[in-house]
Parts: sequence; structure tokens; C-alpha cells
Amino acid sequence: MTPLTPDAVAQTQAHFFTDQQMATLRRLSEILMPPLKKYPGATDAGTPEFLDFLIGASPSDRQHLYQSGLDRLDAEARQHFGIAFASVNKQQADQLLRPWLRTWMTDHPPTEQYAYFINIAHSDIRTATINSQPWSEVATASGKRTPDVGLYWFPVDPDLHREAPSPLHQPARTKQHS
Amino acid sequence: MPEEKVDVLIIGSGHSGGMAAKVLTEKGISCLMLNAGPIADVRKDTEVKPAYALPFRGFKQPGILPHVFQSNEFNANTWVDEKEVPYTYDPQRPYNWVRVRLFGGRSLFWSRQSFRLSDYEFKAKSHDGYGDDWPISLADVAPYYSRTEAIFRVQGRADGLPQYPDGNFVPDDSPWSESMQRFIASGKRMGVPVCKARSSLGVDGLASSVNLLLPDAFATGKLRAIPNVVVRELRADKNTGLINEVHFVDRLSRREMSVKARVVVLAAGTLESTRLLLNSKLANSSGVMGHYLIDQVYGPGIVCSVPEARDGKATPELNGGGALIPRFRNINSKEKNFIRGYALNVYSSNGPMDPRNFAAYGEELQNKLDSYNGSGFGTSIMGEVLARYENHVSIDKNVVDAWDIPVLRIDTKYTDNEINMARDAVDTSVAMAEAAGFEVLAKNYDPNPPGYSIHELGTCRMGDNPKTSVLNKWSQSHDIKNLFIVDGSSFVSGGWQNPTISLVALAMRASDYLAEQMRQGNV
Repeated sequence: MTPLTPDAVAQTQAHFFTDQQMATLRRLSEILMPPLKKYPGATDAGTPEFLDFLIGASPSDRQHLYQSGLDRLDAEARQHFGIAFASVNKQQADQLLRPWLRTWMTDHPPTEQYAYFINIAHSDIRTATINSQPWSEVATASGKRTPDVGLYWFPVDPDLHREAPSPLHQPARTKQHS
Repeated sequence: MPEEKVDVLIIGSGHSGGMAAKVLTEKGISCLMLNAGPIADVRKDTEVKPAYALPFRGFKQPGILPHVFQSNEFNANTWVDEKEVPYTYDPQRPYNWVRVRLFGGRSLFWSRQSFRLSDYEFKAKSHDGYGDDWPISLADVAPYYSRTEAIFRVQGRADGLPQYPDGNFVPDDSPWSESMQRFIASGKRMGVPVCKARSSLGVDGLASSVNLLLPDAFATGKLRAIPNVVVRELRADKNTGLINEVHFVDRLSRREMSVKARVVVLAAGTLESTRLLLNSKLANSSGVMGHYLIDQVYGPGIVCSVPEARDGKATPELNGGGALIPRFRNINSKEKNFIRGYALNVYSSNGPMDPRNFAAYGEELQNKLDSYNGSGFGTSIMGEVLARYENHVSIDKNVVDAWDIPVLRIDTKYTDNEINMARDAVDTSVAMAEAAGFEVLAKNYDPNPPGYSIHELGTCRMGDNPKTSVLNKWSQSHDIKNLFIVDGSSFVSGGWQNPTISLVALAMRASDYLAEQMRQGNV
């Protein structure tokens, strides 16, 4: 039996971000990582929905970073262009994003809060996309080494009394994004 | 079962415990080794997987291992769980305590860099007036370095620099790429030596206690080992003052047990050894146990591109390979705003660039990545952290681990010496890179949190004076003659050098001495 991963056939149900934040994140993902050459873009790879899951399960400081960052991005779009960030075109998005792009090294992202959000979100969007099954399938078909294949360690003799990890954050299921 | 008294009880199975076991058993001494964690088997405990098949697509599971920056979803289960074995610290002064309790400890995963300490480290106070000299010199340790280097198969090239002592090497005859030669030439003009790095080749891809040291010990028939037992306390005989009992708890079942021992060799890793002794309230007549915590500055560095290697022109001859810049500051001159020094790891790569090196996104970023592919070049610091009394660990009586053992509180911070040294490292790197014609893409001046280097040292430092040190020059407790500590806790200063080869050599030296003392009936 060759088991499938759920992403091969299923969509992630997004529950954490508000409708507006989710729309902002989707547009941000499209802008930062569009489809290129034969490789899927972030939205084709289910990245926004995956990040909704990941950030929803994250500690509160990470959640706040994304929520406040997405809110600010949307607010700036409305302020500058009179439209939601979800509706900006590429040139408008560039005007809002480029001033905050930085070069940085591992473990030392920009310290200013909004620059931190923009650059971390960019990095997360890239990682979630490149580590997706659709990306991997294109790489394999192109004869390239499948990105980020690694040696996974299972728990070794796990402690019988081990405290289970904190339950993943379960936001209200009333939020179902289109 | 009748209670037996073991000859030597070794606590810890990493490099230092492994060396102690090898030396002692080869001299005919029976040893029992205790290890807190399980034995790992790569064949059954690992699987090659793509990131998309992992629960979090390769992102670390949120909220776990926040202080282990080296962790990712692939290796998360190899590190000590911070919730099982917590530690405390001032939130304004975070510490990254990175631990492995699998049998073999961190020797399973270390970076292999293997550099001898020099007398600029052993006799640092004699050189610059700060801190304390070790009670030993390079000459005392050199024979043990040579034997250790042979076991570990350290590859290197003789450079004849006193701050980068030559050793017993597997010759490194690899050529320099063109980009490295340009960087070397830059260095020469600035008085900065650029040398071949030195690294333990090990055997069959592994340079660990479990393949280089313990097999020899087991082959003697004199070593027995028990995994999955967490040592809670050492107890001393009230009349003799010697340690006679070790109390431990089975990691999985929580059953409390004890064993008697004639000699105890502590090799649990710097901070775990110190934690055990502080909890046991032993061997600290000096009052300095827990103090003088040292590690090394990591994090600052630069990322560059070699222009001639872009746009499909990269070849291994043009760009590739690594180098090591050994300490060159405060050797023959005095810097204005820091003492001691740092080394720089130098690396170049024919592989892909990191997208974070470009302030771009989408198609523009992809075009940059395609163009710059194969042209990467960079440096990163390994800097000496000064030994300060106030950088210390203590027991936090308010917090216990999963086995109800009180945890460590870690109080340490970097000061101007480390910050200024890091700045100099980055500025020097930039100057050398630009003089070589490279484009600097990113630079970082900020050190990673203390502890990140995984080179924690000190807290049971050695010395000739029992009032100011915990151990004598043989790593033997001043207070308790049948107690030896052979891991990095004995260090007086840390230098810039990866401490592994030094602590293994010192463990060999201490074990030779212990064996002789036991033979003479002195211990």
C-alpha cells in the first residue's frame, strides 16, 4: 500500500484567521509566491490554509504577529488605495511591501515589528509552498532532487508518563472560510 | 538480587563518559555506565521522509523546543524535551540549553570541528591578566590530544601557528578554490591567517562515543551499561566523606533504585553534572561550583556572493570548500575594546542561495536565485566568552522535572567584550570579502543567545587552589577523592575552539590518572 498524504486530495479547513485576514493572507501569498515556470504558487499549494492551521496552533506571540500584521497590511491598502489588500493589483502590493523587505540571516530576522512580520511571513509562505506535495511532484518530474527530504526521527522509547503536548489551539468552528 | 558495589560508576555516555569507559576498562577496571536516555537505532528509529509527509510540513511543531534553534520537525525527537526537563532563567536573559539524552548524547550529532586549545587559552591570564590560568598547559595535554586525534581521525593541515596548535592529523591535501585563494590573499594583506579547518572524520560517517569509544570498552568485557535511568542524587559516607551510593530513578517506570560504587566518574555534560552535585550538596567547599559558566559567541557573520561564479559559471574549482580563520586578535597586539579573540568559520558553496539574502519576492527573487546560484560565500564567528563568577547556575527549588528532580536556574549574559568582539568579527569579514571582490549580501552583528553554541563549559572548574576551584588538575574533586568530573565542567576558560576534542583528551588524561590511583590503592 502506498499511503496518500491528505494534501493530495483534501483541502485544509481554515478556522483561525478572520475572513478579512484570510483574504489578506491569500493575496499576500499570491503576490509573494506566484506560480513560476512549472512550479505551483503558494495558493496552488494550499499555503494560506496551511498557515491558518499552523499559526492557529502557535503560541500567542506568533498569532498576534500574524493577526496584527495582516490587519495592518489591509489597513494600509485601504488608506493608500481605498481598497482591501485582497483586491490590490501587483503594483499596489509592491508599493506596500517593498519598503519592508530586508536581507537577513538565520535566527536574526528584522527586529522592527512590522518588518519582522513581512519578512517572516514571506519566509513561512515560501517554506510552506516548497515543502508541499505539489511542489515536490514538479521537482521530481523535472528530475530534481526532491526538496527538503530528510531523515525523520520517531520518538525513541517515549516516556510512559509523558505529558501530552498542549492541545493545539481549536478556534471556534463557526468560522469557515470560502 | 544481592547488592553489588561497582568499581567505577560512570554517569553519562557521551564523548567524555565514553572515553573514561574505554581507558578504564582497557586497564582492567570494571565499570558500570548509567545513561538517562534510551539507546537509539537509526534503522528502526528513523525514516527518510519528504517534508510534506510530516504533520507540520517541516515547520517545528509550534511551542516545542523554543530554545533549541537547531531543532526542526525532522530531528525534534532527538533533543531533550524542555517540558520534561525544564530549566529557569530571567526572561530578560534567555539561555539556550541544548541537550540530548539518547545513549551517546550529543556525540551523535556534533559538528566534528576539532581544534586543540593553545596556551593562549591554558595560560590566558598570564597573557592578558584577566581571569585565571588553567593548572595545566598545552604540553601537559599534548600527548592526550595526539592519542585522541588518532582515534577520532582528525583531518587537518599543519600551519605552525601557536594559537592554532598543530596535531596528529590525517593529512588534508585538498586544494583551495579560486574564491578561497582570493580570500586568503585578502587576509594576508590584513594580517589575518586563513587556514584549513580541522575535523574529525570518525569511522563510517560517525565520530561518536557509540562507534569510536564504547565498542572498545564493551570488547574488554569490563563495561556494563544501563540506559533509561535518571540519576537523582549522589550520597557520601558520613564517616569517610567519600561517595558510596548513587540513587537513580528508572526513566520509564519511575522505580527508585540505588547502586554502590567505589569511584564515581561524572560525565553527564557540564550543566547536568553540576546540577547533580548541587542537588546532592557535595564537593563544593570552595563555593565556586556553579560559577564561571562559559560558552561561545555564535551568530554574527556575513553572507556574500562571488560575482564570477554567477549565471551558470560556478564550478568547484572556482567556488567551494571551507576554511578556518583562527584567533588573530590580541596575539601580538592589543585591541582597544576587547580582550581574547574569535575564530571565523569560512564557507563557500556551489549550491543554491538562501532567499533571505535578497530583498525581493516572486519572479524577481527567483531570477536572483537563478543568477546567484553557486556563488555563495560566508563567514560566521566562534568567539571566546570571558569566564565571570557572576555567570552562574543554581538550583531552582520551585521547579522540578518529570522525575521530581529540582531543576537548574541559569543566570548569564554577554557583556561588552563579547559584543565588541562580534562587531570586529563582522567588520573584518566584510573588509576581507570586499577586498576579495565579493558582494556582501547580508550581515549580522547580534550574537545568538548564550548557550546556542552547545559549548557550555565551566561551573566545576579545575585549579590548584581548593578555595577557588572544584577540581584539581586531574579533574578529581578537591573535596571527595573518589569523585572525578570528566566533561566540560572542568574548563577554566573556553577559548574559541569547539571543546569536544579537548574535553575528550582531558577525560583520557583524567582516566589514566584515576586508573593509576586505583592501582596504587589511593582511591
